[in-house]
Amino acid sequence: MLTLLEQIDKGTLWRAHGGVHPPELKSLSNQTTIGQLPLAKHFVLPLTQVGDSALLAVEVNQRVLKGQSLTSGTSFAYCPVHAPTSGTITAIKPMPSNHASGIEVLSCIIEADGLDEAIKTDAHHAELSNQEILKIIQQAGIAGLGGAAFPTHIKLSPASEIELVIINGIECEPYITSDDRLMREHSDEILAGVAIIQRLISPKRIIIAIEDNKPEAIDAMQHALNSSTLANGTTRITAVPTKYPSGGEKQLIQILTGQEVPSGAIPAQLGMLVQNVATAYAINDAVANGQALTQRVVTVTGLNSQTPGNYWVQIGTPVKHILDTLGFNGNVANDKIIIGGPMMGHSLPDISAPVLKGTNCLLLPDSSEIADSVAEKPCIRCGECAVACPALLLPQQLFWHSKAEEYDKAASFNLHDCIECGCCSYVCPSDIPLVEYYRIAKSAIRTQNEEKKQADFAKLRFEARLKRLEDEKLAREAKAKEAAERRKGSMSSGDKNAVAEAMARIKAKKAAEAGTEPAPSNDIADKKAQIAAALARAKAKKAGAAAPTSEAAANKESAPADANDKKAQVAAAIARAKAKKDAAKAANTANTSGQSETDAVSANTAPAADDKKAKVAAAIARAKAKKDAAKAGNPATPDDAIAQSEADSATADKAQSADDKKAKVAAAVARAKAKKQAALTGNTAAPADVIAEADAVPAETVSAADDKKAKVAAAVARAKAKKLAEKAKQSIQDTDMAIEPETVSEPIETAISETRQETVSNIVNTKDSTDAENSADASVSLVEESASILTAEQQKKARIAATIAKAKAKKAQAKLQEKE
Amino acid sequence: MAFKLASSPHLKVKLQTQTVMRRVIMCAIPGIAAQSYFFGIGVLVQILLAVIVALAAEAAVLALRKRAIMPTISDNSAVLTAILLAVAIPPIAPWWLVVIGTLFAIVLVKQLYGGLGQNIFNPAMAAYVMLLISFPVQMTSWSIPTVIAQNPMDISLTLQAIFGSMSAEQLNQYKLGFDGLAMATPLDTVKTDLALGLTMTESLSKPIFSDGFGIGWFWVNMAYLVGGLVMLKLKVIRWHISAGIIGSLFICSSFGYLLSPDTHVGPLVQLFSGATMIAAFFIATDPVTAATSIRGRLIFGALIGVLVYVIRTFGGYPDAFAFAVLLANLCAPFIDYYVKPRTYGHRTGN
Repeated sequence: MLTLLEQIDKGTLWRAHGGVHPPELKSLSNQTTIGQLPLAKHFVLPLTQVGDSALLAVEVNQRVLKGQSLTSGTSFAYCPVHAPTSGTITAIKPMPSNHASGIEVLSCIIEADGLDEAIKTDAHHAELSNQEILKIIQQAGIAGLGGAAFPTHIKLSPASEIELVIINGIECEPYITSDDRLMREHSDEILAGVAIIQRLISPKRIIIAIEDNKPEAIDAMQHALNSSTLANGTTRITAVPTKYPSGGEKQLIQILTGQEVPSGAIPAQLGMLVQNVATAYAINDAVANGQALTQRVVTVTGLNSQTPGNYWVQIGTPVKHILDTLGFNGNVANDKIIIGGPMMGHSLPDISAPVLKGTNCLLLPDSSEIADSVAEKPCIRCGECAVACPALLLPQQLFWHSKAEEYDKAASFNLHDCIECGCCSYVCPSDIPLVEYYRIAKSAIRTQNEEKKQADFAKLRFEARLKRLEDEKLAREAKAKEAAERRKGSMSSGDKNAVAEAMARIKAKKAAEAGTEPAPSNDIADKKAQIAAALARAKAKKAGAAAPTSEAAANKESAPADANDKKAQVAAAIARAKAKKDAAKAANTANTSGQSETDAVSANTAPAADDKKAKVAAAIARAKAKKDAAKAGNPATPDDAIAQSEADSATADKAQSADDKKAKVAAAVARAKAKKQAALTGNTAAPADVIAEADAVPAETVSAADDKKAKVAAAVARAKAKKLAEKAKQSIQDTDMAIEPETVSEPIETAISETRQETVSNIVNTKDSTDAENSADASVSLVEESASILTAEQQKKARIAATIAKAKAKKAQAKLQEKE
Repeated sequence: MAFKLASSPHLKVKLQTQTVMRRVIMCAIPGIAAQSYFFGIGVLVQILLAVIVALAAEAAVLALRKRAIMPTISDNSAVLTAILLAVAIPPIAPWWLVVIGTLFAIVLVKQLYGGLGQNIFNPAMAAYVMLLISFPVQMTSWSIPTVIAQNPMDISLTLQAIFGSMSAEQLNQYKLGFDGLAMATPLDTVKTDLALGLTMTESLSKPIFSDGFGIGWFWVNMAYLVGGLVMLKLKVIRWHISAGIIGSLFICSSFGYLLSPDTHVGPLVQLFSGATMIAAFFIATDPVTAATSIRGRLIFGALIGVLVYVIRTFGGYPDAFAFAVLLANLCAPFIDYYVKPRTYGHRTGN
């Protein structure tokens, strides 16, 4: 068994599958030496190159010299583009590109001054390091001249060891002869370029592969090789049987080595590197002569060309200039103008497009050479395409699935391994443009994959979020349980009067809700409380008037109604905020000065907060006002259902042999109300028993719009709560011990209120009630912590306030549900 | 500026579907000529009848489907189907037989499935099977080969026979052999004889096997073989299906013959009797209903060969190509699914 290198040395060739033998038609253009195309008046240089993006290094009206780089860049993949002649930059704007679509790309337009003055170049000497050579190749803007225009310096910096370098002189496409003529006329320069590649890569073997339909080129190269420094056994010229597409990188590797480039990989993985002969020439030109890549050999051919042949054409020369200079028999409207060969080239939509680094041929066929495309006929599954396919695909199956837009099935037939060589379309007896179908299918699959990637990512995020919410919920429940147990443990003796008192308060609240009668005689309710309540109600009403909530309730699902509802809530929240601020100020005044004076800062302020109880009442009234606002949105709410629910919860609580009944009942009432509210707002039409069940609305049903926002808001709320709690502690320390405990609890309540306020408004803003409730709980527990240092009485009060806050949070959540 | 825009490749081989079909028809001419020589001018009458009906039926269905008529008619595929069906029908069968068969082939089997390229079954063979099952008497009454007939039929007699103006007694005279039995194909004769307890040698000594093969059938098969080889040379068809059929039929029949020469037809008789060559080169190679990959086509052909052998030897019908081809048609998508070529750059065995 011979090793691969031994077989290469023997000149063994392998068979590549498929391929076709189209008429070669090369003699049309390879009879004359390479001519020099006269300079154009202006040049169009697209600034986007294969590789990385670059910075524009010139500006409009600047004079540039031949070989001057128009861009700058520092990244590894950067490949510059140079001015092909001296002249002035007249514009930098999008211009039709040399592409099948004619898509506009940002281009520099250079008005040539005819002097063709070149930038001063350093003559490079032999003592360059490899890195310096690579730098020179990069700065010269050398890209693959076979057609793909991939930056050469990247290819010449392989990550793995390269054993075999293949210099591609196959030129298998019909008509094209630019490499043929270049090899005939510049074989020494090409070999000098190959020597540079050898120095950079140090491969074990170099094969210069030339199709056997170019005997002159083979001879010239062989002759040059014999007299070059490469003639030491590692480099050989191999003639390859003529067949299209032997010049394809993958096919050439298969023919020369019998190996296949794995699907989706590059030849470097096999330890191979393929470079075009023209690229080798350009490398030598850059390294030995310091010339940037500003011109290339272009084959101008086809029966519509008056002077077919090969020409040195400045990169950036508009195609129109070539047509005008060399003569064009056809007319632009009726005849195809093809960039590249007849098998893989693209027809040009706009002749103002420029010649690029990869433009090896300008094909100007007349209608006898290339017939108009005829109508597609049904596929008869003759299988000729499969015979011709060099990638061993089943083109008719690919066609079948591509046409039916079953892209997944097309992909399962390895559509992505199609090299678009055109052999299948070429042999198809039914004139089906197979390659066109594959291009469409490929781009559709690309789009689909892109979308799928995004969808997968979104799903991942969503699932992570669900899990987090679930974890948080569990943590919250555990915490609540713990708190409940702690509470149970710390509670003192029961008090039946407290229950009665709580019941009375419930009644008072109900009365206030109904808004028909003043609070019944109660030791808490006094005139000031009523005034405060009235003010709060007025505010709520005002807010309600500003935004017609009844209408919102009627059209809950319509968007504008939603907006109104939201507005109303915001307005209500503002009103509440004001009320609270004033109350807080009053409380602060009371704490710090110890006086009972009216704070005249706000017009809304209730009379002096000298009585703590009044403030409690005010708070309750505010809560009621809020509830009223909510009820305004739900006029259908049955009052008796509320009563029923309240009574139920009250009795339930009564049955419990709890220690601190007062606090518990108050908390229960608050919770019941909140729940009821949630139920009612969630489903106004539902009967009372359904409503009673609805209090367990799971947090999951709340569709969260923006949890991030909510979290931020919650964090802010927690921070505030902490701050306020600290303030509360401080004020306890500051305050004279003679001050009544009730007064001491004032700032705590204020803190709770404000925290709740903050949280509620956050909820309204962010719509994420789950997080917000969480934060409300968190702040409440913070306040509870701070309150634990107070006396039992104070604790009780604090707890009541905390429960109110909780209830309010829940209510806000309910409102949100209603909105959704 | 309005440029001519087109997707690559811009070059096209000049071979068109209609050219492919026309070449297939041309290559069938030697076989048809041989068949006409041995079985009378009726073969040509049947072909003419079938072609006219096929074109008319195709045009009618295309009109109903609101499709362009001319481009489809001119692809020659309907003509080819008609010819393949007509040569499979006994030359003096009544006219309505071929008309029903052709209508069935074109309208039901081809156009109702979507026209050219869409049909699952080979239209000619599906129609043949339909006729064979529906009209077994008419479909198995072959005329006496002209070379051994006592009074060969001329054109007017043939036309009379086909178009029904001939009495049954008169007709029988052309169908009956020396022994007064209805003339059947050689394969049919062998099958009947084996059923009657005769040995293969005894059966083959009958006048219809005068030259070791059935009279005429050997040369008809030879003519189709020549046409088939020309098609291979012209690359109108690829060799895989034909080779699969002939190879597997040869192997199977050799095996059977070696085991029991008295009850099995020899491999050469198998290959040059009945429809073997026309089926192997002209019918089974219909690309629309065959497998598409190279290995798939070999399997497809081999499957037909095995089925033909099994049905000919053990089945109730003397010839079996129609059944074998239809059964293989059914398997073609399955074969295609499992026999995919290894794409470039994809390793095997993992």
